[in-house]
Amino acid sequence: MIGQETFADALLDGAKEVFETMMFMTVEPCDEAGHVIGGSALLGSITFTGDIEGCLTVCCSYDCAKTIAVNMLGAEDEELSEDEVVDAVGEVANMLLGSLKSRIAETAGEIQVSIPSVVSGTELVNSLGEGAAEISQVVNIDEETARFTLLYRDAKV
Amino acid sequence: MAKSLLVVDDSATMRKIITRTIRKADLSVEDEILEAGDGSEALEKLEGNSVDIVLCDINMPGMDGRTFVKEARQIPSNANTKIIMISTESADEVIDGVKADGANGYVTKPFTPETIQKELAPFME
Ligand SMILES: [Mg+2]
Repeated sequence: MIGQETFADALLDGAKEVFETMMFMTVEPCDEAGHVIGGSALLGSITFTGDIEGCLTVCCSYDCAKTIAVNMLGAEDEELSEDEVVDAVGEVANMLLGSLKSRIAETAGEIQVSIPSVVSGTELVNSLGEGAAEISQVVNIDEETARFTLLYRDAKV
Repeated sequence: MAKSLLVVDDSATMRKIITRTIRKADLSVEDEILEAGDGSEALEKLEGNSVDIVLCDINMPGMDGRTFVKEARQIPSNANTKIIMISTESADEVIDGVKADGANGYVTKPFTPETIQKELAPFME
């Protein structure tokens, strides 16, 4: 599908922008191919429609999410409630899609974004079914690992 | 005189980040910063309080930020209230559109604390 390579770069660049600006955290691609986010994890996802449609997800362990939330809020661990950690993952998905959107506007056209949602569990994956393209970036954020996935397909005419 | 502020965002985390950023900045702001989770809640807060500056998200469930700006501008008592949008939307059409509807400023997310301060500064006099 058109745009896969561009989208992969845009996803990584967008993530760097979000994490460096809002959390002062560095994002680097993880060399460990096929790294799986094990144990209890959070999956933040946000869907979009337009010339292409699909969803963007952020998956990371609860500990990673907590580190992200602490950095976002500049708070100490014990001050944060579970709700705040969950909410932070949703906001990361929201900002990541925003950053990605501005980077792929020329290829992907105008897209409309939904409200983010977050689920928790183990071995979390998202699927759009057949005919969808999937782009994943597994990254190291400071000491933690997270996976950003973009699933998309051409909108039905 | 210290300014009264209202922060509108569906994410409690984002409201907290914005509130903390404002508190850390050297701005003359009233102790209590009001909060709302969507546009209709924000309109209620505007009705019951005197608010100088609203910092408002666009993408929210319930009443979104664009509708909020239009509705708020219909109410004469809000004429002097400044509205600054804070959104992940960065398309010029969206920014120009919401300013045409009555927003006074625009900050894109992700933002640095400096961006928020800079955007607020002209409205603090
Ligand atoms: Mg929002």
